[in-house]
Amino acid sequence: MSAPSAAPGRLPPVSGEWIDRSRTIDFRFEGVAYQGFAGDVPSAALWAAGVRTLGRSFKYHRPRGLLSFANHDVNALIQWGARLNLRADVEPLEPGMDLTAVNTFGGVQGDRARVLDLLGAFLPVGFYYKAFHRPRALFPFWERFFRRVTGLGRLDFRAPRLHTPKRYDFADVLVVGAGPSGMAAAVAAGRAGARVVLVDENARIGGSLGWQRGGDTASLERLRALEADLAALPNVSVRPGTLAAGWYADHWIALVDAVRMTKLRARATIVAGGAFEQPAVFRNNDLPGVMLASAAQRLVHRYAVKPMDRAVVLTANADGYRAALDLLAAGVSVGPIVDLRAEGESSGLSERVKQVGIQVLRGHCVLEARGRDGRLCEVTICPWDGQGNASTAAPQKVACDGLVMSTGWAPAAALLYQAGAKMGFDERRQQFVPAALPEGVFAAGRVNGVFTLDNKLADGERAGLEAARLLGFDAPAPRSVAPDLDAASHPWPIVDHPAGRNFVDFDEDLQVKDFLNAAAEGFDNIELLKRFSTVGMGPSQGKHSNMNAIRLLARIRGASPGEVGTTTARPFFHPVPLSHLAGRGFSPRRETPLHSRHAGLGAVWMQAGPWLRPDHYAVPGKRKSENVREEARAVRTGVGLIDVGTLGKIELYGPDAGAFLERVYTGKFANLKVGMTRYAVMLDESGVVIDDGVVARLAEQHFYFTTTTTGAAVVYRELQRWNAQWNLDIGIVNATGPFAAMNLAGPKSRAVLRAITSLDLSNEAFPYLGVRQAEVAGVPARVMRVGFVGELGYEIHVPAHQAGHLWDALMQEGAAHDIRPFGVEAQRLLRLEKGHIIIGQDTDGLTHPDEAGLEWAVKMDKPFFVGQRSVDIVRRRGLRQKLAGFRLDAASAAVAPKECHLVIRDGRIAGRVTSVAFSEVVGAHVGLAFLDPDLSAEGTPFFIRADGGTMVQARVVALPFYDPAGDRQKISG
Amino acid sequence: MRASPLRHVLAPLHPRLEVLHGMPVALHLRDEQPGWAGVLGVCDLSFLPRMGLKGPGAAAWLAERDIPVPAVPNRWEPLPGGGLVARLARSEFLVEDGFPGGPVTGLAAQLQVGPGVYPVPRQDCALALTGSALTELLVQTCNVDFVAQDAAARVVTLTSMVGVSVTVLRLPADGRHVVRLWCDGTMGPYLWETLTGIAGELGGGPVGLDSAFPDRSA
Repeated sequence: MSAPSAAPGRLPPVSGEWIDRSRTIDFRFEGVAYQGFAGDVPSAALWAAGVRTLGRSFKYHRPRGLLSFANHDVNALIQWGARLNLRADVEPLEPGMDLTAVNTFGGVQGDRARVLDLLGAFLPVGFYYKAFHRPRALFPFWERFFRRVTGLGRLDFRAPRLHTPKRYDFADVLVVGAGPSGMAAAVAAGRAGARVVLVDENARIGGSLGWQRGGDTASLERLRALEADLAALPNVSVRPGTLAAGWYADHWIALVDAVRMTKLRARATIVAGGAFEQPAVFRNNDLPGVMLASAAQRLVHRYAVKPMDRAVVLTANADGYRAALDLLAAGVSVGPIVDLRAEGESSGLSERVKQVGIQVLRGHCVLEARGRDGRLCEVTICPWDGQGNASTAAPQKVACDGLVMSTGWAPAAALLYQAGAKMGFDERRQQFVPAALPEGVFAAGRVNGVFTLDNKLADGERAGLEAARLLGFDAPAPRSVAPDLDAASHPWPIVDHPAGRNFVDFDEDLQVKDFLNAAAEGFDNIELLKRFSTVGMGPSQGKHSNMNAIRLLARIRGASPGEVGTTTARPFFHPVPLSHLAGRGFSPRRETPLHSRHAGLGAVWMQAGPWLRPDHYAVPGKRKSENVREEARAVRTGVGLIDVGTLGKIELYGPDAGAFLERVYTGKFANLKVGMTRYAVMLDESGVVIDDGVVARLAEQHFYFTTTTTGAAVVYRELQRWNAQWNLDIGIVNATGPFAAMNLAGPKSRAVLRAITSLDLSNEAFPYLGVRQAEVAGVPARVMRVGFVGELGYEIHVPAHQAGHLWDALMQEGAAHDIRPFGVEAQRLLRLEKGHIIIGQDTDGLTHPDEAGLEWAVKMDKPFFVGQRSVDIVRRRGLRQKLAGFRLDAASAAVAPKECHLVIRDGRIAGRVTSVAFSEVVGAHVGLAFLDPDLSAEGTPFFIRADGGTMVQARVVALPFYDPAGDRQKISG
Repeated sequence: MRASPLRHVLAPLHPRLEVLHGMPVALHLRDEQPGWAGVLGVCDLSFLPRMGLKGPGAAAWLAERDIPVPAVPNRWEPLPGGGLVARLARSEFLVEDGFPGGPVTGLAAQLQVGPGVYPVPRQDCALALTGSALTELLVQTCNVDFVAQDAAARVVTLTSMVGVSVTVLRLPADGRHVVRLWCDGTMGPYLWETLTGIAGELGGGPVGLDSAFPDRSA
């Protein structure tokens, strides 16, 4: 390994610098060894080492250096192992980092894709919407090609999952942005007694107080004073390195730090996130060495890096003059200051730069920049009219290795937009500022159009006090803040050039001509322009391009920026790692009280909604299909036991309980005798079947009924909703969890049960469809004689805490009868043989009861039930489809269709299979299918398209397939 | 005869069991560390007798039996012997005995259906969370600001925790941090695994009854 390169650009210690010079850090970039300090970021350490090309642009692969140095240098994205698209301007430098620039072919210096810069004429805006569609056969080639050349970073699927638990947090006041206004706001609200959280995306707080000094230390002293104020307030939590990435209703704000996302609930939000400095637009404004003034100031004051040796300053506000003084103090040769404004700077800064000998060219612009070896070497300066027209008669060429731009700002207002703030364009300030804020949302500082330091501090204090007073804290009335007199943004910081390469969007390599062409093609609405040109759709999400794009479109349309408006600001307004979004990945799971019994018996699990259920019980050496058939055979010939505790279970009490059931189910229940059960079908208001179950009447005013496994929560919620309207005298209790349930089924089930209960199980005392309450194995139980699987059977419901005891007792007593637990798959087969449907499998979100063969359960002669009117309408229209039983012709059985396979007639879809299985008792594959009504008559042959397109012949048969008289459920003995 | 919903997730932790109120209870877990309960302990209290009732006559029914009825929903009152009665809604209540017992068994025997009073079966997974890192566990699992709640106000919170509907209340436990938590028993194993997993990261873990409540008098 070669020795780390020296850092010729590192300045002597700078007051307030963020680096720790006592701890050096070795790292590599593009295979070359470098050295930085603890607290550094890669961009700073590389810039100090003289590296100017930090990355390549997205489209033309042009060399790019520093631009914003504010977490938005998206052309300086780097990869470290499995960690991709790290931002070199903010990622903390770590020992052993081995970094590469993304989006290069052969390295950042020798990037072979740089040839694309010569092919720009063939890659106009929106070209990919038009090109490569013909010939169609070549489209897959182009698709692969562009996917290969356009991705940023290389995803490593072997990367371990990062541990990023989310957390919740709470505050009275959240202050976003810890610059001067944000700190002042936090101090004011904190002193009033509010619980305050102050966040800032930067590694340290202070904002512009730290880096925008104007050549003296006054702002740094103010920063220290504010830090001391905050430290004295234990109710203020200061969180640097934390980004407020999105604002959601009720003041839920997503806070993102290095390791996790925090969902913070505030009672009030103060947005003091400042503003994004905007680039000026001129030819070659992307050359390494051309940067925003604030970027150069951050380099100097945070990382003690000399940004350049000789700087030209392009400005249209006081901030550019402050930057000139800061650079001069850092040993940079500065001059001239190119001021876009004919009148120049009106503040005392003008005199200060004059005193230190910096030349000022008022009413001038930078026409173009020139580079050599991928870095800036010269700029061309011309007089201009302030409207984009440069006078090129006498251009002034100035040799320099740095050009700093400070011609305007765009508010960091994404959170305000998301919170529902109305933003208006202030012509005097040339900025979008809040016109109306929602209750509990405040803005302060630059985002509020306030730029001078004293005013920012006062504006922050105002916001803090207003927030505290709104929340009821005892705070003094805030003072009003005098408006700034000068605009911080120039209305047209754009100089066109016939040779182009004047970039508006550095993410997407969009030039001025691209906007003109897009508008010429009719995309002259800001949202359309965004989608066609992709402006603002890159990783920086328009933070450095949207404002200039709005100005361009306004000029094209002859409108003001306010009339053009802004694009929608959706959360997250800054990229958030997917690992942070994933968090722990909670996946709630329900287990019946018999879970461990199933596990001990070799259950193979399946998921049914949130439940884990035994699909079947594995027997070593046997295939699933064998196990399922053996389980089914045990039920048909002996006795089986299945856990049906996942069924929804609801208790219904009260004098109106019967009337209530009459309304929510299609059948009649007012006349249901105590001690009996009845099948029940539930519809929604459109007449669609949404659930079914069994209703048991335990007492005159007490019903107990089941729902489908996945329908329990919805049904319970619906019942409550209905009764909120009907106001019947009932009580509804969801007993799904508190009751366990198991179905003991098979001709020997009575013998097993008889051994552990004193209940009279004879047909006379306990008939089919009866329900009894009795002790079973000493456990208080509700026993229902139902026959879902088509055999003599008892569905036994017991308190969940005692379910294991009952299961053990049944298995123990059943051992003498070769009892066998059976799973969901066997139950599906058994009920299919009986022609019993499963709601959600044999019905869908459009199925009406007549289509599913449930017309017998719909009692239209009742005065009302939910969905009744719709059923009436549907019946008058006629059937759209009909669920029918089918049996495969024996010759076709070798290729069995599957559920959801289509029924085909004359090349058209005529239905679909909903259930199908091989039935041992029938000796063939049987199933249920939705068919065109004219196909559903018994004996009608039809074809099913099975796997591989094989057409399988089936024939409609009468249901049920097994025991059509229902004798098996009623056997004696 | 009764079994906790957590029986099978506790079994691999080698619990030292004792039957309390008809249910085997983990008094101590073989691998638990002495300090866990003080940092962040998760303890199964499903064995405590409890009952639920609802209906427009429920409050009067309890009052007639000298049970202190919380005046408003989402509040709870202590019962002699360490039990509690929680008002979960305008007309729904949870009554739970303390370690030595309480009125639940007697009340349950008296509770018949109607008029205006209906039993609510309670087969909960009931937990106690203890320790100084409790707040950190709560903010990682639930979006309710429990820190802002005054334990003396005896607030009952019905909310969602890691996707599970739970009932939560803070016990004013002589300077100790104790939260009681109830959920549907079928969600218990998932909730237990999730909470004990997080507790492990925070320096705690699953603990037996003796560690979580060393001063209990059963």
